[in-house]
Amino acid sequence: MSRRPDIAGGEHLPKLRPGQEPPPPSWLPRQRRGTTPQMIGRYPDYDVFDAIDTWDEATKKAVLARLEPPGPLRFFTAEEEPTLRAFCDVATAQDDEPRVPVAEMVDAKMADAKLDGYRYADMPRDPETWRRVLAGLDHTARTAYRVPFAQATEEQRENIVREFAAGRLVGGPWDDLNVTRAWSVVMRGVLSEFYSHPWSWNEIGFGGPAYPRGFLRLGGPGREGPAVREPFERPGAVDVDPVRKDA
Amino acid sequence: MGTFWRGVLKGAVGPRDNDSRYLLDVHRRDLPGEATMRRYADDDEVDLVVVGAGAGGSVLAQRLARKGWRVVILEAGPFWHPDEDWVSDEAGSHALYWTQERVIGGDDPIQLGKNNSGRGVGGSMVHYAGYTPRFHPSDFSTFTDDGVGADWPLGYHDLLPHYEQVELELPVAGQDWPWGHPHRYPFSPHPVTGAALRLTEGAHRCGIDMRVGPVGIVNGTFGNRPHCIYRGYCLQGCKVNAKASPYVTHLPDALEHGVEVRANCMALRVEVDDATGAARGVVYVSNDDETAATSSDDAANPRRRGTERLQRAKVVAVAGYSIETPRLLLASTSRRHPHGLGNNTDQVGRYVMVQGATQSAGRWPDELRMYKAPPPEISSEQFYETDPDRGFARGFSIQTVSPMPIGWAEHVLADGHWGRALREYMRDYNHWATIGVLNELLPHPENRITLADETDPYGQPVARMDYTLTDNDKANMAYSSTVITKILEAAEAQDILTIQRFAHLIGGARMGSDPDESVVDADHRIWNVPNVVLADGSVCPTQGSANPALTIMALASRLAERMAHA
Repeated sequence: MSRRPDIAGGEHLPKLRPGQEPPPPSWLPRQRRGTTPQMIGRYPDYDVFDAIDTWDEATKKAVLARLEPPGPLRFFTAEEEPTLRAFCDVATAQDDEPRVPVAEMVDAKMADAKLDGYRYADMPRDPETWRRVLAGLDHTARTAYRVPFAQATEEQRENIVREFAAGRLVGGPWDDLNVTRAWSVVMRGVLSEFYSHPWSWNEIGFGGPAYPRGFLRLGGPGREGPAVREPFERPGAVDVDPVRKDA
Repeated sequence: MGTFWRGVLKGAVGPRDNDSRYLLDVHRRDLPGEATMRRYADDDEVDLVVVGAGAGGSVLAQRLARKGWRVVILEAGPFWHPDEDWVSDEAGSHALYWTQERVIGGDDPIQLGKNNSGRGVGGSMVHYAGYTPRFHPSDFSTFTDDGVGADWPLGYHDLLPHYEQVELELPVAGQDWPWGHPHRYPFSPHPVTGAALRLTEGAHRCGIDMRVGPVGIVNGTFGNRPHCIYRGYCLQGCKVNAKASPYVTHLPDALEHGVEVRANCMALRVEVDDATGAARGVVYVSNDDETAATSSDDAANPRRRGTERLQRAKVVAVAGYSIETPRLLLASTSRRHPHGLGNNTDQVGRYVMVQGATQSAGRWPDELRMYKAPPPEISSEQFYETDPDRGFARGFSIQTVSPMPIGWAEHVLADGHWGRALREYMRDYNHWATIGVLNELLPHPENRITLADETDPYGQPVARMDYTLTDNDKANMAYSSTVITKILEAAEAQDILTIQRFAHLIGGARMGSDPDESVVDADHRIWNVPNVVLADGSVCPTQGSANPALTIMALASRLAERMAHA
């Protein structure tokens, strides 16, 4: 395990580190309550579902539906599937189970044509943009590393995605795309699915649905004690098991 | 009531001539009036048909129904039943937005959908944050004063009584307001979060005054509308009924006075009688009809056009906002208006505007949990007017916001982070607070709505919105970004992440005093058409750096007064 960074001081924040490199996530505590993606997070004793009895029925239904086992892909083809999964993994740094099933969630959105309400004049519709991006990632991986994107090493995939994020990919399918806008389209899709999943709320300590309960303690500088934190909130924690402190 | 008495009687005075707050149910969020709503037949010539049940259309309908007018509102989206339809969840709120296809172009294309477009009874105020500032007196004469933008054919004092009335109806809560035309609000300011206090401290150290509010969110109780519960989901539709939208502020009273809100009805064109030049009514398709037709005989062809119906009316008011209003006018061609209704001088769709809305987030050692409380908390209009030292015309306002996780992910992504770095910043969510600006971007004729080549499932051409920033806009945006960065630095933020974005829509069918340079006159009436008015934000020639909701309602309120006395 790597040394624990100083959280209050912000030592873990990428922009404050040399090369803007985030620390390896191995310092993070393992989740002790509930589930987080890869079972890591800053709030190991917090589970948003502890409060589910306070949620309204409509919200409960919408959020719980995201925990249903993801079905087979409906929009993306079997040929596209490995690239899709590999890209979603790199984009959200999901390298292990449990995973938020981002690939299936994006697939459902495209299959149901639940789009965002605008299309760039120089771009195809979002579903077609996705297909071209996946083809483009494969094209670049084959050109640069002579393997499909899904079979490239993690470092190689990250190199390709870094170029994608910078809008610098060219050749093959990329020549029919505004690469910068394509990045924005696919990342909007990936992130809105990943962070709609309650596991990701556990990871970041987000309070989750709050109707009809609401919040009473709004916090504030200089305010200490019970006025700062709701009874159901758990403060951020480090990797110390309160029971087995010496372990 | 003068502003002095407003301060003295704070929280104790309700609006006259609007009983909406008493017509809501304490235990359910559905509009009690829906079940007993009056219905009109298509061939019954009503006094007024309104297109769009949003901020403008709802206020106009409520006011004129009170004067005895027989009114039908056609709304493209659904009639909400908030207990079942709305959720305390970002992704689950997709249905609140106008997500039908639109094309965006120009050098600086504007993202639409959840960012600025609503659909359904109550319009986009169902998911607006809640800020309700007034325009400043200077907004109405920017061309004369600063040589930019345009002069309005009316002034601040024409709107003032309507601002005051609408502020009572929402009701608006906030501190005494020192900027523009100084005024007080009918309700006291809400408590603020630790996150907002941090930002206030930083602003004060920079010599910038910040005030709490103004927001259209109940602070106290207001008839049958309860106090805000500070759950933070203002942008996902207020299930509490504390945040103002026409759904709770004007439509209950409208239904009580015989208005029919016909939901799921997409207007296709305003029908003009070529013999007289007057409108006969609005042609529309009801989704309920279309579903029946499609499932019975033509399921294989989802692009089948539904049955067209004509709602006859003596007067037509279009209130579809800055994209759908121009789109409807452009599609309403006739012999007298071959290029679209009111478009004989090629003005329809031009001068559409958005506001620059860059947001910067700062990071602190302790947990601030910015997701609590309404996102709109404190704001400043100290930079609203032109200051020659800044090197550009007009200005900007500063407002706090607080993104939920999906919004926060977009923020982190925009600063250039993905993969492991993005996850790291996301996990740090509770340590951040966000402050944003609203830049007054100037109206430009080439920033416009046109009809694209493709069509929607009704066979109607979809809208295309082109947007390109001017040099003045860019200078304004760059300057304002440095101001909010300084605020964060002064508040001792450890790290800063910035997203450049745009917000709000306005203009697109502006009012003016010359038919060659505008679409409607000072009474919102389309030039040379006796009985078609525009009752939404599309008529605004300039936008200031204020959020537009309150002004759209005040304009509709004034328009109703003019129409009632005409």
